[in-house]
Amino acid sequence: MALAQLEPLLRQVQKPGRYTGGEPGSVQKNAAETALRYALCFPDTYEIGMSHLGMKILYGLANARADCWCERVFAPWIDMEALLREHGLPLWGLESGDPIAGFDLIGFTLQYEMSYSNILNMLDLARIPLRSAERATLAPLVIAGGPCACNPEPLAPFFDLFVLGEGEEVSEELLDLLLEHKRNNSDKQTFLRAAARIPGIYVPALYEVNYNGDGTVAAVTPKENAPFPVRKRIVEDLDGVYFPEQFVVPLLEVVHDRTVTELFRGCIRGCRFCQAGFLSRPVREKSHGTVDRQCRALCENTGYEEVSLCSLSTSDYQELPALLEELLAWTQEQKINVSVPSLRIDRFPKEMMERLALVRRSGLTFAPEAGTQRLRDVINKNITEEQILSAVRQAFGGGWTAVKLYFMLGLPTETQEDISGIAQLAQRIVDAYYQHPEKPKGKGVSVSVSAASFVPKPFTPFQWEPMDTCGQLREKQALLRASVGSKKISVSCHHVEISLLEGAFARGDRRLAAVLEEAWRRGARFDGWDDQFQPGLWEECFARCGLDPLFYTARRRDFDEVLPWDHLDYGVSRRFLRREMERALCAETTPHCRERCAGCGIGCKGAP
Amino acid sequence: MQNIRVRFEKRGRAVYISHLDLMRAMSRAVRRAQLPLWYTEGFRPHPYLFFPLPLPLGQESCCEALELRLERPMPPEELLRRLTAVLPEDLKVTAAAEPWSGAGEIHAAQYEMKLRFADEAAAGDWSKSAASLLEAGKLTAKKTGKQGRRRIEKEIALAPLIFHWALSSEGASVLLKAALAAGSTQNLNPALLLEALFDHAGEPLSFSILRTALLRADGTAWE
Repeated sequence: MALAQLEPLLRQVQKPGRYTGGEPGSVQKNAAETALRYALCFPDTYEIGMSHLGMKILYGLANARADCWCERVFAPWIDMEALLREHGLPLWGLESGDPIAGFDLIGFTLQYEMSYSNILNMLDLARIPLRSAERATLAPLVIAGGPCACNPEPLAPFFDLFVLGEGEEVSEELLDLLLEHKRNNSDKQTFLRAAARIPGIYVPALYEVNYNGDGTVAAVTPKENAPFPVRKRIVEDLDGVYFPEQFVVPLLEVVHDRTVTELFRGCIRGCRFCQAGFLSRPVREKSHGTVDRQCRALCENTGYEEVSLCSLSTSDYQELPALLEELLAWTQEQKINVSVPSLRIDRFPKEMMERLALVRRSGLTFAPEAGTQRLRDVINKNITEEQILSAVRQAFGGGWTAVKLYFMLGLPTETQEDISGIAQLAQRIVDAYYQHPEKPKGKGVSVSVSAASFVPKPFTPFQWEPMDTCGQLREKQALLRASVGSKKISVSCHHVEISLLEGAFARGDRRLAAVLEEAWRRGARFDGWDDQFQPGLWEECFARCGLDPLFYTARRRDFDEVLPWDHLDYGVSRRFLRREMERALCAETTPHCRERCAGCGIGCKGAP
Repeated sequence: MQNIRVRFEKRGRAVYISHLDLMRAMSRAVRRAQLPLWYTEGFRPHPYLFFPLPLPLGQESCCEALELRLERPMPPEELLRRLTAVLPEDLKVTAAAEPWSGAGEIHAAQYEMKLRFADEAAAGDWSKSAASLLEAGKLTAKKTGKQGRRRIEKEIALAPLIFHWALSSEGASVLLKAALAAGSTQNLNPALLLEALFDHAGEPLSFSILRTALLRADGTAWE
């Protein structure tokens, strides 16, 4: 779309910079000279999508090819959507301004179940038929990947294919194949059958799902020799795999506005609630030289004043001391702040802490996840109260005054004692502050407790577990608030109906596609945003489709039930997950991978 | 240490960059350009960037100013070359030199306001009523200000802030050129003037505002 058409609309919306493109680092190509046009879509706002590392990697990777022009597309906010519909303007790619309906490939990233209604909305705004079966031609091919692709069943009718696991290598293979089939004028079916043979690619139309009378899945049957199960892709060598040296630098402030690179993928910890920890196995580290080189290049090319090191648990990165030594040598001189999230400061040399703090002080955050040691053992969250207290004491001595704590409500086996335990832990931190001889003078302490609702996810030991109902969660939230006895402690909780919907879609089956489509038709958008979410609307849509969200959330599944995602293989074995579930019920912890291999089935190099 | 004043254009898509975002964008650009920047002392060192006359959101300009402080001198041509290479095309640097007048010497800014109407007759009518309103010198505008901590709305007379104006129309558009008070002591946002005119003379289909020059009290260009 020409800027001229957009111009009058831009003056009527919030944050028009979301829609203009033209940022430093964004890629311009000649459309006539690129064989493939690729729309990389993030089904949430610009500020959230532009913060996402996966988008930056895939954008850079696709644009590094001369034969492909990859453009960014974000969900227009409610105000812009209304104007686009009023003026009859289709969704466009930020780089060229061209309508994406004319592109070859439309790729969505599935980060969060609550963004699903935005996917349908973006397809509709682009004037692309929603269902795969309604799109007869090869172009545009509509695909998705990302963490939620591990159970893509509620989205199955809308997508032509899903990419399971890590996207770098499979993206290249897919683009090559698409180009070949485009040149040969292949039909869509021929292409999809060929694509299904690429490891990591799941073509849902090639699998038939049958249900039992009680609504559970009877069987998933592959058709036309489609692979069964479909295995996720794993990048073996993180030093060799593509990583961008340039980011698009947004012109309006986004959520994570800085340089970021990964330290490693996977996690050794095995926290039983954590889907990312199981989906991303095995652990593979980047060498510190690679991390340092990537940070340098990105800082030079973006001008960012902050570097963030990203992983599921920074302290488990074995080369961390060497890396920080290298990074601090040049970042301090260039006034660049190094931010090290999810660091266990209790095990960190004090001198290094001070050097990090020298450049800039970031917040102090802990994720105990549960209020008592018993429940932390159930979820295998390997942190003790004494570790937290000794860490905050050290931090208070160093001038920190604010502590953020993350918890979950509704964990398996949770009792009232576990909930009041959250308040007690927060109180002990407040007490530790006032008892500290070297606390900052004349300042109070603030402890903020954030209590999310526990949502059981596929490929975790809790995948068979019931989730609390909205009523139960509300009661627990009330109990938590009532247990807090200090004004220094603030409590914030998640919207329970949003959690319910997240739970239903996380472990849902293909029948939920009808609910999703109906909800989108009735106006569901940005369901993860408290101010946009319409619980009543979703309730009606479930009822209209003859489905009950509690069937998906509140029901305990038998270990031998066929789960909707059972034909997808993420490497961790069902036997291991079940063993972990049984240990959880006995509050038995499992040591981390470097201490003793738990035999999860991923077959990493360290496994016996 | 060397201060350099860069002049730049803010056109096209760049009008949607707010002043706060522009400061961030420029501070990243000067880092990408690897200028020998002077950093502020203190807990959070940052490069010294100073915008003598910030531009409101939604307005274009071909005469913006940005002052930078360098740790060691750099030839202005070199600085210009490096900044051009790292800025988006809608933020275009046009000149760089050591400043010879202070920010306090900005007295006025020259604007070109283009208004588009349905047809020639509507443009002509609007132009006539705008001219008589400007001649009468009785236009006022509501401005939110602060009195201590309280936010208050006050009515200000616009005539003393309008130093010069000229109206012309061509086809269905009207061009209003005006020199308006600008700077830290008194300042008139051209959008406010247009709003006052729209209140009495009616609204156009669309309009755009371009800042074309910064002026000193004697009417010469501020550089």
